Amino acid sequence: MGLKACGVVSVNKIPLSYRLRQHLRLVLAIAVTLVFLFPVYWLAMNSFKTADEIYSSPPVWWPASLQLNNYLVLFKDGDAVSVWNSLVVSTISTVLAMSLGTLCAYSLARFKTGGDHLSNWIISQRMVPPIAVVFPIFLLYVFLGWVDTYIGMILLYTAFNLPYVIWMMRGYIQDIPRSLEEAALVDGCTHWEVFWKVVIPMCKGGLFATAIFTFIFAWNEFLFALVLTRTEVVTYTVQVTHYLGGQSNFWTKIAAMSVLGTLPVFIAVMFMQRYLVRGISLGAVKG
Amino acid sequence: MLVLLLVAVFPLVYLILVSFQGITMMDNSSDFVGFVNYQAILEDTRLWQALWHTVVFLAIALPLELLLGLLMAQLFLEKLPGRQIMIGLLVLPVVISPIVAGTIWSLMFDNRYGPINQVLGWMVDHEMPLLWTIKPELVYPAILVAEVWQWTPFMFLLLLAALANVDKSQLEAASIDGAGYWRIFFRIVLPSIWPVMAIALLIRMLDLFRLFDVVWTLTQGGPGTMTETISIFTYSQGFKQFETSYTAAVALMIVVFLSAVLMWALKRVGLSR
Amino acid sequence: MADLQIETLHKYYGDNHVVKGIDLSIPAGEFTVLVGQSGCGKSTLLRTIAGLEYADAGSVSIAGQRVNDMAPKDRDIAMVFQNYALYPYMTVFDNIAFGLRARKTPAHEIAPKVQKAADMLAISHLLERYPRQLSGGQLQRVAIGRAVVRNARLYLFDEPLSNLDAQLRDEMRGEIKRLHQDLGKTMIYVTHDQIEAMTLADRIVLMREGRIEQQGAPLELFEHPDAKYVAGFLGSPSMNFIPAQLHSDASGLCLNLAAGLSLALPNSRFGHLQDRVGTAVLLGVRPEHIQRKGTERPGMAAIHVDIELVQPTGSRTFVEFKLGNSTTVAELQAHDVQRSGERIALDIDMNRVILIDPTSEQVIANGRQH
Repeated sequence: MGLKACGVVSVNKIPLSYRLRQHLRLVLAIAVTLVFLFPVYWLAMNSFKTADEIYSSPPVWWPASLQLNNYLVLFKDGDAVSVWNSLVVSTISTVLAMSLGTLCAYSLARFKTGGDHLSNWIISQRMVPPIAVVFPIFLLYVFLGWVDTYIGMILLYTAFNLPYVIWMMRGYIQDIPRSLEEAALVDGCTHWEVFWKVVIPMCKGGLFATAIFTFIFAWNEFLFALVLTRTEVVTYTVQVTHYLGGQSNFWTKIAAMSVLGTLPVFIAVMFMQRYLVRGISLGAVKG
Repeated sequence: MLVLLLVAVFPLVYLILVSFQGITMMDNSSDFVGFVNYQAILEDTRLWQALWHTVVFLAIALPLELLLGLLMAQLFLEKLPGRQIMIGLLVLPVVISPIVAGTIWSLMFDNRYGPINQVLGWMVDHEMPLLWTIKPELVYPAILVAEVWQWTPFMFLLLLAALANVDKSQLEAASIDGAGYWRIFFRIVLPSIWPVMAIALLIRMLDLFRLFDVVWTLTQGGPGTMTETISIFTYSQGFKQFETSYTAAVALMIVVFLSAVLMWALKRVGLSR
Repeated sequence: MADLQIETLHKYYGDNHVVKGIDLSIPAGEFTVLVGQSGCGKSTLLRTIAGLEYADAGSVSIAGQRVNDMAPKDRDIAMVFQNYALYPYMTVFDNIAFGLRARKTPAHEIAPKVQKAADMLAISHLLERYPRQLSGGQLQRVAIGRAVVRNARLYLFDEPLSNLDAQLRDEMRGEIKRLHQDLGKTMIYVTHDQIEAMTLADRIVLMREGRIEQQGAPLELFEHPDAKYVAGFLGSPSMNFIPAQLHSDASGLCLNLAAGLSLALPNSRFGHLQDRVGTAVLLGVRPEHIQRKGTERPGMAAIHVDIELVQPTGSRTFVEFKLGNSTTVAELQAHDVQRSGERIALDIDMNRVILIDPTSEQVIANGRQH
């Protein structure tokens, strides 16, 4: 510190109680993080164990070696295709939802289409319990022959995620100062050009974050997948439950499958640190 | 701009569908049977039990998540080395599929191979092969642990952001005025974070009401129907027992009920963005 | 015994040395203004006095007692914040009463005290309102009321008028001055506005980059600045600085400016600078000390200039012209000049100018007896 250089003789000591508190907080914080993370660790670690190690009592906390057999089995048996299914369905529905949703959001934000009621109604869509609509949708799908088809799942997830996308993007778009768009209009752009050249670049971060959260919602979805898929378009969430037997569970498969399914989400979240709170809270809290 | 109104109609479609089918469809023939189904609802004890189970879960999990989330938020509020990393990691439970969360805890709670029993065994110095997912007294705690584990970070994140947004100068003014820690917390901090807290509670409440995935993986609603939530009940009615019209009726009731709650809550907190 | 004593105070923000060894001694009842540009450390100093920041070195003593390790609430101080910091979920009454309640003042004493403070600040009619219903000026009064009601020993103000519009600011300035006269408490006031500093202070402490540049009574700093920075900071419009050379001729010392201009220096004020003849200096002259040429008087230097810019304000007119090669501002009477391009005769009052050493930027002659 430059204090000595200034010729200062005595530096004030930070009181002991304060430093103690700081250290205590750090210890607690680490402890809490570990507690929350342990189950995830357990899952990951189990996926690398041999069957013997898993079915051993007392349980093994650290496998003898990290072996990928469980994963290989999944691929061999063709179960891993469910991850592929999840990927296809989630990605396409996300893209669709984002495109339509952002457009809607722009219209809502700037042109006040439908006024307040529309936006309230949209957010209430998010609150609708899937269980209530699963059944009618199922019947509808049977009628349309969409059960267990890619189209069916994609459309469903798109429709389901649309309100969320609209809600979030509306928030992000509202954050952009109007004067930017007005300047562009004065400079000679059409509304369409303003949308593409000004609005979209300005909310790139929000776009990205919302897309990731939409993807995660679709990726993790279970109920609809359970009801509306049979054998063709099984997503990984449903696949995992296939392994739950009455008496014993195929823990090897379950663990490996779960990890496989969680990996993409984990990676995505690591990238989206900054937008985390806003995305999860439906924009209730900024940042 | 009109494109969007069109698209927004799609969800409307299935809502209408629900009401249409709720009242009219019957087991194998499409006769109008009036309110018979609704009457059956009132008399169906299993349904009311499922409702009760759901309420129990809600009443225990929600306060727990709120309290723990608040405590954690306070803990992480000020600077700490490695804070960013820890927060990033703590997000994990929230973004995992509830199904995966359920499987994780199935593993953890396994009576022979799970670490929970192992650790408990260390503490009491003899084997504790507890059947968490089967014994009636243990199923609720098991499910609650899994649920709270997954969603406390959600509360934590929201509350952390809200706490960080509290106007610092108000806190400083209060400390100069002579207020102690608790007075500041209850009179100044709490009112300030209330809007966010209310939304968080609302979201969680609605989510807890439709609790399905976690329970499904841990107990499938069992033993028997002990942990059956209203969602699981509806599902089994519709897809295990194929009581089409009855299910539709139940579904409609749920929608109406939740909408009412939502309306009331929104009015009460005065939100509309 | 000084009411507030600060000794060799240092404060860092990370690697940033914000307060660099401040020594300050303030007697009881005095109104001290810490003034300076943004980032000079004045707010940090105030907050350290309040206890909101921890001093890295040095000490803060209130009424003779070292308070470095005391929490703000134990220091018996009151503070008014720039953004008012009122509690939005409480009525005005509760806002003011908050401190009293926190210190467990008996209930029957609270109401009369709040009432008295409210009367003093003319906000008695607002006691049941909420902050969001009040205007900026009213909010500021409530904030001051909250500070005043506690009868603290030391009052701290952190740029309280910055958020108000100009007219309101003038009004509130007078109120704060009157408040100090009525209460007689020791007050420390932080601002970047030199007019506030000049009008309110018993003592100005001009800060720059974490150090005290100069302190003293307002007029003392205004008329006898010790450094170029001080001279240029106080006064609006600010002082003109013109490069010149110090010379000696038959009648005594004089200044040679660019473009062949020469101004005679009165011996009484500048006689002690004999040994600097031949060196470069900076001439500091305030706009109000340049006037339309009047009768001959000792110490007046006459010049003839072409006016380049005219800015009338109604009561006065500001003009710009070249002195030597430097653009100079003068404050003239309203009708002295009509339009730019006019040629006019002006008098510079050389009894009031100062000379500055260009390298050290210290004032070498400012009229104070050496």
